[in-house]
Amino acid sequence: MVDLLREGPRRPGDLAEALDASAPAMSRHLRVLKKSGLVREELGQEDARVRMYSLQREPFDALEAWVEDVQSFWTMELAAFKAHAEKTRGRKKKK
Amino acid sequence: MSATSGDSAAVSVQVAVSPEDAFDVFTREIDLWWRHGRKFRIAGKRPGQLTFECALGGRLFETVDFPSGPKTFVTGTVIAWDPPKHLALEWRGVNFKDHEKTLVEVSFTPLGEGTMVRVEHSGWSTLPDAHPARHGLTGAEFSRMIGMWWSDLARSLREHVATRA
Repeated sequence: MVDLLREGPRRPGDLAEALDASAPAMSRHLRVLKKSGLVREELGQEDARVRMYSLQREPFDALEAWVEDVQSFWTMELAAFKAHAEKTRGRKKKK
Repeated sequence: MSATSGDSAAVSVQVAVSPEDAFDVFTREIDLWWRHGRKFRIAGKRPGQLTFECALGGRLFETVDFPSGPKTFVTGTVIAWDPPKHLALEWRGVNFKDHEKTLVEVSFTPLGEGTMVRVEHSGWSTLPDAHPARHGLTGAEFSRMIGMWWSDLARSLREHVATRA
């Protein structure tokens, strides 16, 4: 579902069909996600009677930023760790 | 012990020493390899020392030599201790309050004649909304939801990040 929404806004019916879920189950799911600020609802551009759902990027951007920070932090620390460990304890041929 | 699934970052490195040596260096000798500077130490450019108390319940702390005298800052508490295979720390960043913490797990796996060291750092979703590490994001619901419905997204995000690293 996330993959589908990442490509662009989708109608609930299309999501239900693509994910083999019932329409009521899909609309329940979307309601919860909307309430949580993870997706947003908008009116269709071609037909204002149709509701479209799309991803709210902010939560995912924030998570991604954190993961990147933490990954870069530990990548630097582990490089320093490796250099020290191999210099002081390396008995085998060093690479 | 793992926090919600999905909000973690993992980094591995292959080291040409035994798991016993890797574990020993990682913990007992942490001050000798841990990087210096403001990004990595509370001391920044001031003199100071990192100490890893090697036991369950032990602390990881930094002592900073201020002109007024040394001061101690606890960064971590050991919550799993299984040398030379695995350890885990409750982890507090430089700007964390006392009750704010994340989880760092470190594993040491024999690989060929060396060791694969893997660090997994998780717990972003447990931090309060206003925490600086959250980059201004608000929405407590998100924290609750991420582990339930959206772990698949977070997984793909993480894989995405990993491919770019």
